[in-house]
Amino acid sequence: MLRYYSLLKKLTLREIKARYKQSFLGFFWIILNPLFQMIIMSFIFSKIMKMTGIGVPYPIYLYAGLLPWLFFANSIASAMGALTNNSSLIKKIYFPREILILSTLLAKVFDFSLAIIIFVLLMIFFKIPFTFYMLFFLPIFLLQFIFTYGLSLLLSALNLFYRDIQYLFDLIMTLWFYVTPVIYSTEFFPAEYRYIFKINPMSVFINAYRQVLFNGTYPNWESLGIGFFISMGLYLIAYKVFKKLEGMFADVV
Amino acid sequence: MGEIEFSNVDKYFYLQHQKTIKELVAAIFHQKKTLERVHALKNVSFKIKKGESVGIIGKNGAGKSTLLKLMAGVSSPTSGSIKINGRISPLIELGAGFHPELNGKENIFLNGVILGMEEKFLIDKFQEIVDFSEIDMKFIYTPVKYYSSGMYMRLAFAVAVFTQPDILLVDEILAVGDTAFQAKCIKKMEEFKKQAVTTIFVSHSLETVKQFCNRVIYLKEGKVEFDGEVNEGINLYIKS
Repeated sequence: MLRYYSLLKKLTLREIKARYKQSFLGFFWIILNPLFQMIIMSFIFSKIMKMTGIGVPYPIYLYAGLLPWLFFANSIASAMGALTNNSSLIKKIYFPREILILSTLLAKVFDFSLAIIIFVLLMIFFKIPFTFYMLFFLPIFLLQFIFTYGLSLLLSALNLFYRDIQYLFDLIMTLWFYVTPVIYSTEFFPAEYRYIFKINPMSVFINAYRQVLFNGTYPNWESLGIGFFISMGLYLIAYKVFKKLEGMFADVV
Repeated sequence: MGEIEFSNVDKYFYLQHQKTIKELVAAIFHQKKTLERVHALKNVSFKIKKGESVGIIGKNGAGKSTLLKLMAGVSSPTSGSIKINGRISPLIELGAGFHPELNGKENIFLNGVILGMEEKFLIDKFQEIVDFSEIDMKFIYTPVKYYSSGMYMRLAFAVAVFTQPDILLVDEILAVGDTAFQAKCIKKMEEFKKQAVTTIFVSHSLETVKQFCNRVIYLKEGKVEFDGEVNEGINLYIKS
């Protein structure tokens, strides 16, 4: 992998640079897009739907779920095209193909980091106290990254064989969004359905982020443990499948 | 360094008649063919020594591209073994790794790294690459989407020739570009030949094969029909 470090670096920079060169607003879009989504949703859900009693102001609560969700959704969306868009490379030159997926995801991590700046400003604005527990943000994000990477490996490879898997998955993502506590908190869900949040890794991560950021406590280890096993399991299986299919990529692309 | 050995290589792949699940479901419903097993290479064995220039000839669908893909390591054989000794550089589909939004310099580095060059080496060779490409320095900081197709290709070729390959895979690049550019490509390839770089040359232009190669492998329906002297192989191919 070390041998391909500079390739990974260059491909990641290609992703980032190419996108920002296309528009004058460049870097601002990355910050503005989730911010506007948050403002619109905040208005609807706090003023109209009256989502209250969650401990912190709704906009920041929402943002803490929306940013990780958008990272997840955007990563999957671009990873799905990562192999098909690079078909001419895949047909001609060998390098480990997961680098194509990893570089798209790293570019999304860059976007995510930019968006976090606004989040921190909002934290200050809403006078949320900064605590030591917030450091747990990083390991939780690492887990989320592994989960996202695993799923991306699997889906990008399958999408190479049947090109409409990405459209199919768009539908799944819409459903997935609503069974993940992004716009609401888990307590709003009827108790008999709450098991969904235990087995949905995205829900595990978002709950954990909110715990360490707003409650000033450790994350729920039991729930995070389930998230850990699902993420690692998925990653290991996905990597195996991806490597198994890799030798066929050039034949089908 | 620079040897290639194929022993009893077979390659099957599945030809997908449907590229989407939607079509697949419809095809299953109508009981149409979905997957077709194609026997692309049949028991292919040969040994290529360092410094040889081998032309691969054969009709469309004879397995030339598949053979090249196996050599490049992007596709794996179904059975048999392939031994490649040395660094392979594909001089094929120039500019495959270029990104239109990035400028010339950024693309030189990007493509260079994709082709397996080290960044440090590229920094050292940067000026030489630009000089070889004959692209005016003032355009080097322009996104390559504004390049003419000639400039685009010259830049891509310039990067590719600066890899220091033991084995060079050439696929029909000479079919594109103006005559001056083609002459430059041939000249560079002759230079590689002098440096005893093994060259695998896939072309429909039998003239170029005659001029450049000292051995041909003639593929027919996935089998090696002939392997040896250039004129003999080409005559056999023409007659068929």
